[in-house]
This record gives sequence, C-alpha cells and structure tokens, in this order.
Amino acid sequence: MQFKELDPILHSQLRLAVMSLLISVKEAEFTFLKGKTNATSGNLSVQITKLKEAGYIDITKQFNNNYPQTICKITPKGIEAFENYVKALQTYMNL
Amino acid sequence: MPANEIKMTEKESLELITSMINRAKEKVNESGTLYLIWGWLILFCCLVQFVGLHFLNYPNAYLIWFLTWILAIYQVFYIRKKRKSSTVKTYMREINGYVWLVFFICMILIFFIESRFQVYSISNPLLLVLYGMPTFLSGIILKFKPLIIGGICCWALSVLSTFIPFDYQLLLIAIAIISAWIVPGYILKQNSKKENY
Repeated sequence: MQFKELDPILHSQLRLAVMSLLISVKEAEFTFLKGKTNATSGNLSVQITKLKEAGYIDITKQFNNNYPQTICKITPKGIEAFENYVKALQTYMNL
Repeated sequence: MPANEIKMTEKESLELITSMINRAKEKVNESGTLYLIWGWLILFCCLVQFVGLHFLNYPNAYLIWFLTWILAIYQVFYIRKKRKSSTVKTYMREINGYVWLVFFICMILIFFIESRFQVYSISNPLLLVLYGMPTFLSGIILKFKPLIIGGICCWALSVLSTFIPFDYQLLLIAIAIISAWIVPGYILKQNSKKENY
C-alpha cells in the first residue's frame, strides 16, 4: 500500500485544531478560536498567519463598535487540503 | 517545545479533529428565547381575540394582533445585537434564519392576498399551515424532535380547524403555539442552560 505524506502545515496540533473548527462553521472570530483551542493569542496569531500564507484560510480584519475583529474563514483550497489530510490519516490507520 | 509543534500520532490527529468539530457544534445550541417570546405573545393574542369575539361580542378584537408588529420591530434589533456579540457564524444558523425569513415573507404575502380578495374566513387554517412549515424545518435543521412534532401538530390542527367555527379556531392556534413554540422553547432553554454550566 502506498502511504500518502501528511501535509506538514496541517500536521501540527494548533493549526489542525483551527482548521477542524473552521471546517465546521461558516466563519469564526479570533476570540472564538482562542476560546475553543485554549491557545495563547500570540501562538494562535502565528499559526493562523501560517495557514493564511498557505492559502488555507482567509483573514478579514474589521471594526465592531470600535473594537478590532479578526474573522477567519476556510478557503476551498483549505477544505481540499483538510480532506486530503483526513484521507491520508485513514490510509495510515488502515481504516 | 511550543504546544503546536508537539508531535502527534495519526490517532491523536483524528481525535483532535473529532474533538474540535464537536466543540464547534456546542456553540450552535439555541437558547429558545425567540420561540418563547413569540409563543407567549401569539398565545396571548389568540386568547384575547377569542374572549373578545366569543364572550364580549367585540368584532374588532383582532386589533390585538398589532402587538406582533411591535415584537417584530424589537426582534430586528435583538437579532442585530445578537449577531454583533456572536463570535461565530454557522451554516446551520444561517439556513435556519432563512427558513424564518421565508415564513415571514409568506405570511405578509398571504395577508396581502387575503385582503385583496377580502377572504378572511380561511385565515386561521392557513396560519396553522404556515406555522407548521418553519417549525418543522427548524426541527430538522437543529435535529430537535419537539419542534418536528410541533410542526406536525400545527398541520394536524389546520385540518381540524376547517371543521369548527372561526372563534374556536383561535383556541386551536393557541394549542398549536403551545406545542410548536412554547414547549420546545422551554426545552431548548433548559438544554442550553445545561450546556453552559
């Protein structure tokens, strides 16, 4: 059986957690991701920037009642990468 | 080593994905507030109109329904405020919102058509048919049985309402509202309290 290589961008705890959250919703704010992953702001910020650079998520910055908001949304490329990652995992686990 | 660089096994990866997808789901629980506010108001309007028509012989008792317009305006602000404070947008919530928007549009159109043709005698059976639609669909979307049962109750009562006089039809609407919105509303409220504590 041929083993697919696991996407190194997704095979990291926090980035995978963020992608799993974003695949379940239409879009989510930074604070939602932070609360659900229990990550620190600094670490989360670095990881979502990496995901953005890979083209897996879109980040929009806006103001709501004078408070800055960072909204993250998974892209079609991100969905494809996530699906491939899960398929590769299944191959490894012989599911 | 930072948390994000901890080496994961394949099994841990799958577990993380499952746990995160479940955590995202928790957020979509409904508080039931709108079901309860609307449920109690419509129940109140039905009973006031019934008492007005049946016991006081007051034909303008239907005017009580204008209260629903005040609530509709309040709801626009409530939803706007809630949307602003919400940190996540889910597909489920979006589709559910559209279901209720379609219900609202159909309601306005039916009232308009009825007033154009001056046919008000079928208002109550039609209202019951309409109440059933978003209730049933919300039940399917939220995977929440009490709403599905409530929707079916509305439809059954709409058939029953064609066999009884106009003023008693109001009592059927009251029963429909209790089964479709008030009871599910309280169950949703209780469930959401359990989830949050």
